[in-house]
Formats: sequence, structure tokens, C-alpha cells
Amino acid sequence: MKENPRLLAVRAVRQELATLGIDPFGIQIDEILSPTEGLIQGRRTILAGTNNYLGLTFDPDCIAAARDALESAGTGTTGSRMANGSYAAHRELELDLARFYGKRDAIVFSTGYQANLGMISALAGPGDTVMIDADSHASIYDGCNLSGANTIRFRHNDPNDLAKRMGRLGAEASHALIVVEGVYSMLGDRAPLREFVEVKKAFGATLLVDEAHSMGVLGEKGRGLCEEMGVLGDIDYVVGTFSKSLGNTGGFCVGDSDEMEVLRYASRPYVFTASLPPATIAATRTALRKLAAADDLRLRIRENAARLHAGLAALGFRLGAPANAVVAVLAGEKVEALRFWHHLLKQGVYVNVMVPPATPGNESLLRCSVSAAHTPEQVDAICAAFASWPGARV
Amino acid sequence: MTHQDVVAQLIKLVEPYAEGRVAHITANTGLTGELALDSLKVMDLITDVEDHYEISVPLNTLADIKTVGDLASLIQKHVGNDA
Repeated sequence: MKENPRLLAVRAVRQELATLGIDPFGIQIDEILSPTEGLIQGRRTILAGTNNYLGLTFDPDCIAAARDALESAGTGTTGSRMANGSYAAHRELELDLARFYGKRDAIVFSTGYQANLGMISALAGPGDTVMIDADSHASIYDGCNLSGANTIRFRHNDPNDLAKRMGRLGAEASHALIVVEGVYSMLGDRAPLREFVEVKKAFGATLLVDEAHSMGVLGEKGRGLCEEMGVLGDIDYVVGTFSKSLGNTGGFCVGDSDEMEVLRYASRPYVFTASLPPATIAATRTALRKLAAADDLRLRIRENAARLHAGLAALGFRLGAPANAVVAVLAGEKVEALRFWHHLLKQGVYVNVMVPPATPGNESLLRCSVSAAHTPEQVDAICAAFASWPGARV
Repeated sequence: MTHQDVVAQLIKLVEPYAEGRVAHITANTGLTGELALDSLKVMDLITDVEDHYEISVPLNTLADIKTVGDLASLIQKHVGNDA
């Protein structure tokens, strides 16, 4: 069969991994034992490479809600909300989210990826301008591509650089859409949201913040970095996901704009995708109630993050950002990072390995994500696995 | 500003990303080809280009840019527009 030339680069990477005998991108968890443990390659393994920040995936109330919905409303909706109808629970979840954020309305999408894709491509089109942070998630880049808008990248977490580039737009700046993330998934670093809000206001632009990695973790009620920074009221659109702190799958956007109801119909990733199944909606609604009241879990995740961060720093590792639910170890060159990742797996610790160009800068990362469900002993075991690496601390 | 002027300046901006992979960069040198710049490095280069020339080069206009010379032509277009 003729080889597709577009797949050559991917095939080369797969071949390289096969030669090394290391395949972090095809890892299989044979059995999930708890929010923080799984069986991988026959070994009981601590899961420090999920985004299960509050550990709600096994919450009995969420499971019961899902089971009830499964039995009463069936396994799936079999179509998109626009073409095949919404279930009452879809709209109820949207109203729950709007109330939780104190925003006018919400739109639920079928994944977090689609929430960014759907919002950016509905808000901007050819001839418009979208300003994005250089370290944006792929869903933001892809949303820009889908929109056909002029996409301009500003230096990571740099409001002055954004202002400089906005200035070059002239009158067009007031129509621009600025997109940033609250917490960046690779390094776990936070955006200077107050300063970004100032730039947005100075130019009269629109600001969308993706809170995928901060919802549930930051803010008094878990409403993310926007809440923690006291700027929630200044953010035009907050995008989030159900697949991290809420322990499920799906995505959403909340906003105060009176165009929210129209936006969903202008969003192809909303219109042409099957809607979330009843069990997912029901478990997510329950998880959202729990998240809002989860002061204890937020305290625990901060304690765990601080413990892991301090433990790894004491071992001499360079870390990507101050303590946060994402703790990234800078791991230098790609092959050495892959070997390091494999070593950790053999010690019974699963983390994520990220290699350029998916990482900021020119460096590989070993990305740990902390859960409120991790015990202090598990956090210490993660540190011990890192400590046992015989290679250099790069 | 001639095409050659822009190419000469662009070579200076590209060199830090090239990391010595190509001894003699010319207008015909491929950005993702001979220079082997990945997508992130190309975007970082564009950020530097924007700052050097005080222009905006949207990422969605880069699809047909293969060589240093292609990028120089695009820059000339933007500088002309913004002048």
C-alpha cells in the first residue's frame, strides 16, 4: 500500500519510540483501582498523570446520579442538540453553570476541546483578529484555524507584549478577541489576569479565559483563577471542561453577553456534534455541586501540590512554576526524558512526558498532576521514584 | 527596502533558530525543510519578525511560506501595507 506522505513525520516518531522500547503515548491502564491508582503492565501504579484534580471520578454520589440517569434516560442522545433535540438535563446543567459563575448564560459542549473550538470559531471569522498567548493549548490554535480569523500570537503571559501587538492593529483592536488560559497545562504557571483585563479594557476588546486547569482548584468556590484574582466580572467568556476537576467529559462556556443564545447556533462544533449522554450530564451536575462546596478538597490539593513541589525541589530538580496542581519537572533532551519517564513507570509512578514542540521552549517535561485524592504517602512515593533516577538532574 | 535587504535581515533573525544546521542560509533555504524548524520555532521566528519590523503577521497567512525568500516577500507586503 502507498504510504501517505502526511504521516511520514508521525511514523518516524513512532519508529523512534519503538526502537527505544518506550511508548508513553500508547500507554494502557489495564484496570483503574481508584482515582489515584491503576494497574499498568501488571504493576500497581500511582497515577500522577491524570487531571483528576479533586478525585471525583469514583465519588459515590456522582456514580449514583449517573446510574439513575442511565436507567431512566438511556445510554445516549443519538444526535446533536440542534438537529435532534436537547434533553431537559442539558439545559439544567447550563443553568447550573451560569449560576455557579454568576454569569448570564452557559453553553455546554461535548468536550473541552470543542468548547474552545466552538467559541473561538463562533466569535471570530475571516477579517477579524484573535490574539492568543504563545503557549496556548492546541484547542485554541485549532479554534483560530477553524475561525479563519487573523491570528496573532503574543509572548507567553506578557500583557505588555499583548498591548504592543494590539497597538499595531489600530482601530481594529476594539474588535479583537483575546484568548488566554488561567493555568497553563504544561508548566502549571498562572496568567497575570488582572493585567490582561487592563489591556482588554484599554483597547475595548473581548477577553476569553480558558480555566480548564484551574476550575475546582483555584478560587474560594473553585471558580478558577478569575475568581482568585477577583476579575470574574471583567471576563467576557470563561471556557472550561468537565474532564478534569469534575471527573467526567464535556466542556462549557459561560458569559454575560446577550449573544450567548445566538452563539451556540453559530458554532459548528456545537451544531454538528452528538450531545453529551444523560449519565454524563447527571454525574457532572452532581460533581459541580460538590466542587462548589469542596473547600476541604481544595485545601488538600494545595497541601499535596506544596508537598510534591517541595519534595522534588529538595531533590534538585528544576520545576516549571510555583506549587500548583500541575508540577512540571524540566527534563532536558527528549530521549533522556523518555528514559526517565520509563524509569518512573517501572517504579510504579505514572506521569506525563511532554517533548518539543508540544512544550514551551526547547525542553522536555515530566508533568505530574496532583489530586486531592492522593495521600501524603503517595506524594512521598512519587518523590522517591524521582529520587531513584540514576541519571543527571538536568 | 529591497527584497535582498529583507532577506539579509531575515537571515540574521533566523540564525539563532537554525542552531548551525545550515552553514550558508540563503533566500532559497527552506524553513521547515533544510533548517528543520518545527511549528513552534517558526511561530517564535514570526514573533521576532513582527517586533523587528513593527508589523502584524497573522499565523493564518503563513501556509504558503516555505523558504526564507517567501517570508521576505510576505514581510515586504506587510511593511508596504503598514507604511
